[in-house]
Amino acid sequence: MIAGQSGKAHNFIAGAFSRLSFVELIVIFCMALPTLALGWLAFGAFGTEGGLFSRMLPVAIRETGLLLLLVGLFTGFIGLFCAWLVSSFEFPGRKLFEWALILPIAIPTYISAYAWVEVMDFTGPLQTAIRMMTGATSMRDYWFPDFRTIGGAAFVMSLVLYPYVYLSCRAFFLMQSGILVAASRTLGAGPWRTFRDVILPLARPALIVGVSLALMEVINDVGAVEFFGVNTLTAIVYATWLNQSNLPGAAQLAVTTVIIIAGLIWLEQHERRKLDYLTKRDSRVPPSRIKLPPLLSVGVVVFCTLIVGLGFLVPVSELMSTAMVRVMRGAVGLEIFEALWTTVWLALVGALICVAIGYFTARRMVNADGSRNLSYLATFGYAVPGTVLAIGVLVPLGFLDGIINDASRAWFNVTVGLILSGSPIAILYAYSVRFLTVSHNSLESAMKKRGVNLLEAAHVLGASRWRSLIEVDLPTLRPAIVAALTLVFVECIKELPATLLLRPLGLETLSTYVYAKASLENFESAAVPALLIIAIALVPAILGGKMQSGAR
Amino acid sequence: MNLSKSLAATLIVGTSLFGSAAIGQEINVYSYRQPELLKPLTDAFEAETGIKTNVLFAKNGLVDRLSSEGQNSPADVLLTVDVGRLDAMKNANIWQAIPAELTSGIPAEFVDTDGAWVALSMRARVFYVSKERVEETAMSYADLADPKWQGRVCTRSGQHSYTIGLVASQIANNGVEATKAWLEGVRDNLARKPTGNDRAQVKAIYSGECDIAIGNTYYMGQMVTNEQEPEQKDWAASVRLIYPDADQSKTHVNISGVGLAKNAPNLENAKKFIAFLLSEEAQSIYAGTNFEFPVVPGVPASELVASWGELKADSLPLVDIAHKRDAASKLVDEVKFDEGPQN
Repeated sequence: MIAGQSGKAHNFIAGAFSRLSFVELIVIFCMALPTLALGWLAFGAFGTEGGLFSRMLPVAIRETGLLLLLVGLFTGFIGLFCAWLVSSFEFPGRKLFEWALILPIAIPTYISAYAWVEVMDFTGPLQTAIRMMTGATSMRDYWFPDFRTIGGAAFVMSLVLYPYVYLSCRAFFLMQSGILVAASRTLGAGPWRTFRDVILPLARPALIVGVSLALMEVINDVGAVEFFGVNTLTAIVYATWLNQSNLPGAAQLAVTTVIIIAGLIWLEQHERRKLDYLTKRDSRVPPSRIKLPPLLSVGVVVFCTLIVGLGFLVPVSELMSTAMVRVMRGAVGLEIFEALWTTVWLALVGALICVAIGYFTARRMVNADGSRNLSYLATFGYAVPGTVLAIGVLVPLGFLDGIINDASRAWFNVTVGLILSGSPIAILYAYSVRFLTVSHNSLESAMKKRGVNLLEAAHVLGASRWRSLIEVDLPTLRPAIVAALTLVFVECIKELPATLLLRPLGLETLSTYVYAKASLENFESAAVPALLIIAIALVPAILGGKMQSGAR
Repeated sequence: MNLSKSLAATLIVGTSLFGSAAIGQEINVYSYRQPELLKPLTDAFEAETGIKTNVLFAKNGLVDRLSSEGQNSPADVLLTVDVGRLDAMKNANIWQAIPAELTSGIPAEFVDTDGAWVALSMRARVFYVSKERVEETAMSYADLADPKWQGRVCTRSGQHSYTIGLVASQIANNGVEATKAWLEGVRDNLARKPTGNDRAQVKAIYSGECDIAIGNTYYMGQMVTNEQEPEQKDWAASVRLIYPDADQSKTHVNISGVGLAKNAPNLENAKKFIAFLLSEEAQSIYAGTNFEFPVVPGVPASELVASWGELKADSLPLVDIAHKRDAASKLVDEVKFDEGPQN
């Protein structure tokens, strides 16, 4: 610390490495490897045509930006407002809404998009009703809003992504002390003024945490934007890669996207730090819920019903009505149950790995030394579009497989085959890289909130590292670990593009099954597996939500 | 010590599990075609030879996966739609020549000059026009740019491989400049931003949103015979199929095809599979259940397909189309086709 600038830099790096064990370094390296592989590919393509020189790039940046802005506003408003309602007021059905508002998180964006497009389409119930009432036969006879627009995409995506904001804001409201609200009320401010001048500024970090998670989902989406005809950056990545056979150019674009998302992640981390600071001050005044007058209660109930209805009930009932017809016609294959089992075990193992690694990276993050920045590097995978990430995973794994097979042939004269890139390991690796951020964030904030006192006490009392891990560290982190497991589990179940490209021969998950059906341009046959995806994702989503309230 | 032992055990178990795919009477197929479309073919193949088919389906990236797997890849053959994909496989150097005796009965235009791939079926990119609102019975691709059709044309994304194939064929036939003017004309005639798949365009004619849609031939067959979603029969009933440029024998066709993987572990089975796909039996399945055009001379198209009129395919070599794909994709990008009408 006494040394000058260069000394500082040296200390910073040396400090980072010396504080990390060898195993941790390897893990962090592995997590960052696919992103680095892409960067390496991109670097080799400077000055080539396509990619960053695409004419559509300004269009894509404009449309992606507009979509992000709209989804950010919608999810932010719905999520924060609902969280505030259920945690600050008492109204009929409040307990029901408290968890029902989480439900839409279980629906993958591409499935919701499909269902909504069907509902709003010419043959959907709305337009059919209009035609029946007016006697019209063609779309030229009446006006109906064009749903396949950026606005439509933002509407549908916001309705399934707002739970990210809702969850983080509700957690904040549950943990915050009631004293500021009480003070505001004492000073004569009404609920609205309290919301605007006290709650909103206080909840800002939680709001940003949730919104940035939702926006990362938007950037990663491939399926929904296709339904709505939105030209996003991902569309250009695909055109560059597939039609112009320019993988490096595509990697360049993908890396640009990663940089944008890295900015979002940074923002999120930055805000989360503030959040920790705010929530740590516990003045032991539990927040009290105000009973709403009847008229307002009705308004609130209607609003919450509307949100859950549009986000969850509409798409699910659309799928159900299609699925019913399917089941009655006996058009459901048994292979679906095999896919169900594969999906569950892959997601479970994926969640366990993410949480285990997240535990280590989060522990490093809590120590405010140089190792924090290395851990940060490991959480970039969330930002890479799934298919591109899959290529980033394939390149190093294929290379390693090559080495392993050369070695086994040279020493034992056996060809072991693709034990890494041709096995579920590849999928699990992609899941870990992609969703580490999710578990990492959850555990990091819990560790900060808990502090190190208990661990230090265990150390002073002579507990070994293992004993203090098992008897002190893990139990005190239990709610956060469960929350992280459930969130990653849900994410893994919904994941499509990386699973599709990395799965070994003969392995199908529910999402790849839905995709194979849907890509026959026959999305209807996908309704049953799509409902199954939602059903299994619901279980942990609801449990996680319940645990959150219990964790108060 | 324990750790390394258990690691070794895991590796051995893992190897025997994942390595098993390569043993026995099997063949591993990487496919850009949906397993459901392949099933009648693979079932018939298994019934005939006893060889089991494992299919890995993905819509993108299989060529890249094959390259990165290198010589340890379990893949025996790559099945694709679109000649561009076959060409990409050839360029990635992950193929070996298909023995000439397997392809001896196939017309030369359907076989790669080096034997890197052979076509299995053919589909035409045609117009679906509204029975009510379009009188024309013969049209050309050039007509799509005619201001007469302003606000009446629908198509899927310009960057979809089917559209890219069509644009590439126009570049190969008419040059880049003429194609650019044409593409701008088509863009400005669009009724809506390119969105949805081929079927969705036909549905848009049914709903009255547009009058002319671009689509592949077999969708007509799939919609007309769709017992699972009978409502699609209504969509199909609202349109008529026109082979563009039929009078000049210039209707754009693309192919589905197969290539032999460079390090195919089940090489003999793979050859049998390719021979089977080119057999009369398999070609009839392509024609009958998929409504595609067979490539083997003498195997007729299905009656339903024949009822749409005679296909007079563009004789332009398929490889020329594949080689113009890059230019086509850049042109689609340059005129901002996917942004829809610019005025």
